[in-house]
Amino acid sequence: MPTPKSNHSLRKPPSHCAPGRPAPTGAALIALLLLLASLLLLTGPSFLNGYWLRVLSNIFMYAVLAQGINLMAGYTGYPAFGNVVFFGLGGYVTAVLMVKLNASFGVAAVAATLLCPLLVLLVGPPLLRLKGHYFAIATLGLNEAVKEVVSNATSVTGGGMGISLPLPPGDAAANAAWFYYLFLGVMLLSTWITWEFGRRRLGIACRAIRDNETKSEASGLYTTRYKTTAWMISAAMTGAVGSINAYRMTYIDPSAVFDMAIAVKGFVIFLLGGAGTVLGPIVGAFFVESLQTLTWSKLLNWHLGAMGLIIMLVIVLFPNGFRDDLRLRSHGAPPISN
Amino acid sequence: MRRRGASTVPGGNRNQSGVFRPSPRATHALSVLTLQVILSGVLLGGLYACMAIGFSVVWGVTNIINLAHGSMIIIGAYITWMLWTRFGIDPFLLVPVASAALFVLGYLLYRVLLHRVAVASLFMTLILTFGLDRVLVNINLEVFSADVRAITLPYADRVLELGEIRLPYIRIAVFCMALLLTFMLHLFMNHTRVGQGIRATAQNARAANVLGIDTRRVYAITFGIGAAMAGAAGSLIAMVYSFTPVTGDSLTMKAFVIVVLGGLGSMHGAIIAGIVLGVAENIVSGLISPGYRDAVSFFLLLAILVVRPRGVFGSRYLADAKI
Repeated sequence: MPTPKSNHSLRKPPSHCAPGRPAPTGAALIALLLLLASLLLLTGPSFLNGYWLRVLSNIFMYAVLAQGINLMAGYTGYPAFGNVVFFGLGGYVTAVLMVKLNASFGVAAVAATLLCPLLVLLVGPPLLRLKGHYFAIATLGLNEAVKEVVSNATSVTGGGMGISLPLPPGDAAANAAWFYYLFLGVMLLSTWITWEFGRRRLGIACRAIRDNETKSEASGLYTTRYKTTAWMISAAMTGAVGSINAYRMTYIDPSAVFDMAIAVKGFVIFLLGGAGTVLGPIVGAFFVESLQTLTWSKLLNWHLGAMGLIIMLVIVLFPNGFRDDLRLRSHGAPPISN
Repeated sequence: MRRRGASTVPGGNRNQSGVFRPSPRATHALSVLTLQVILSGVLLGGLYACMAIGFSVVWGVTNIINLAHGSMIIIGAYITWMLWTRFGIDPFLLVPVASAALFVLGYLLYRVLLHRVAVASLFMTLILTFGLDRVLVNINLEVFSADVRAITLPYADRVLELGEIRLPYIRIAVFCMALLLTFMLHLFMNHTRVGQGIRATAQNARAANVLGIDTRRVYAITFGIGAAMAGAAGSLIAMVYSFTPVTGDSLTMKAFVIVVLGGLGSMHGAIIAGIVLGVAENIVSGLISPGYRDAVSFFLLLAILVVRPRGVFGSRYLADAKI
C-alpha cells in the first residue's frame, strides 16, 4: 500500500512541493496508522469470525469496484455509470468456463479478467465519443444489453434461472480466509495500479483529457486511445472481482450480478472517498459498507429503502466526500465540485 | 386520421384474399399479422411518448436525469388502481387525480431534496435520484406488496375490427389520451406565462433570474410537471398493462431511449420516437421472440448513441446549451 509521503512527485518537482497546502504535520502518525491497519488486515483471519471476514471481503470488493470507477470518472472524467457490466460479465465468464469446460478457477478468473477489457476494446471507441449524461446512459444501456443477452442465452448461461458454480474445496472457515486474502490482494493490486496510473504518462494524459479534451486533442494527444486504455484497466479490475465474487457465491443470476445498485454503490463510495484520489475508494468502501452492514441486519423489509436513504444522505451531507477532511491527495482538480 | 390510414390497408388486402390459393393466403395472413403488430406498436408508442415527455422536460430544464421517473409512473398507476378498486371510479377520470398527486410529490421532492444538487455535477443527480428510486420502490413494496396488479375494465373486451385487424377500444382511448396530454403540455409550455418562464430558464437561467423569474421555483414547478406527466402516464399504463413495484426500472430506461432518439425537450420528437420504439418492440416480440422485448430498447439506445450522439431529430428549444 502506498504511503502518502512520496506522493508529491506527481505534478511538480519535489523541490517545491505543494506550496499552498498545509504542511503534513501528522505524516509520521498517518504512516504509523497505515502500518498498523495493514498489520491488522493481514492477520485478520486469525482473530475474526466468518461473518466479519465476509463483511471485510465485501468492503475490499467494493473498494476495487470504486477504484475502477475512479479511474474512469475520477481521473479521465467519463462517468462509467454502468461499469457493473464487467462485474457481471466477469462472473458469467468464470461460471461458464468452470461449468461447461471444467476449467479450474485460476484459469477462469484470468480469462474473465482478460475478456472484460476485450469488450471495452470493442465498444469503447464508439461509446467514448459521447460525453457527460450521454456516456453515462450509454454505459447503462450496455449493462442492460449484456444482461438481456445473458438472460436469453439459456443454453450457455442458464438464462434467468442462473448458474451454479462448483463448490470451492475445503471447509467453510478456510474458504472464508482464502477469499478474504484474495479480495485483499486484488484491492491492494488495484490501489497500486491506480497509483502507478496516476503518475505515468497514461494517467497524466487522462487527467488532461478530463480537464479539457479539446485542448488535449489539439496538443497532439490521441485521446481515444488513452480513454480506451483507462477503461480497459477499469474493466479488468471490475471483471476480476466479479469473477472472485461468482466463485465465492457459488450461484449467480443475471439480475443479481448485473444489478445497477452495485454500480451506484461503487459510485457513492468513489464520491465519498474523494474523486481522483488513490486511497479514497478504500476509505469510502469502509464507511459505506460498515454503515450498510449495521443497518441491513436491523431492517429486513426496508433494506432497499435504507440503502437509498444512505445514498441520499451521503450525497446531501458530504457533497465533496472526505477528501478535504482527510487531506487525501488528489490528482489534479476535483471533477465533482462546480 | 388513424382510422382512415388503417382502413385503406385491409381494402388492399381484400384483393389478395379474393384469390383462393393457399400460398397467397399464407402471405396474406402474414401481412395481416405484421399490420396488427405494427398498429399495436403505434398505440403502445403513444403511451411511451406520454411517459417520456415528463422525463424529457425535467432533463431539459433542470439538467436532472430523474432515475426515479419510472417509480413515479408506478405510483400513479397504484393511485389509480387503489381508487378504482376502493370506489369503482372509472380510471379515465382518475388521470387528473393521479397527476395532481404526483405534481405535489414532485414539487415537494424538489423543494426538500433535489434543489441541493441542482447545480452539482451529473454524478450527484444520477446517484441522488437512484437513491430516491430505491426508497420509492421500497415504499411501494411495503404499501402495495409485490403482487402483480392490473385494472380490468368492464369494456376492456370491446374491439374495433378493421377487416381482420382487431384493436381494443381501450388501447385506442389510451393512445388518444396520451397524445392529448402531450399536446396539452405543449400548449402549456408555449402559451402560458409559467411555460414561457420555464423555457426562458432552460435557455439561460442567469438571464431569466435577472429578468425577475424565480428560477428555483421554476425548477420545482418543472419537476412537479414532470412528475405529473409520470402520474398521468401511470394511470394510462394501469389500464392496459399489469404492473409491480419494480416495473418502473424498465420504464425509466424506455424514457431514456425515447428522449435520446427524439431529441431532448422535443414534443413531436418524443411522439415519433415513442412510436418507433413501440413498433420495434412489438415486431421483435411478435415476430422473433418475446424474451427480447426489453432488449430492443437497450440495443436501440446503443445504436442511436453510436450513430447519432445528439439524437435523430436533434434538440428543439429546451436547454440545448446544457448538454
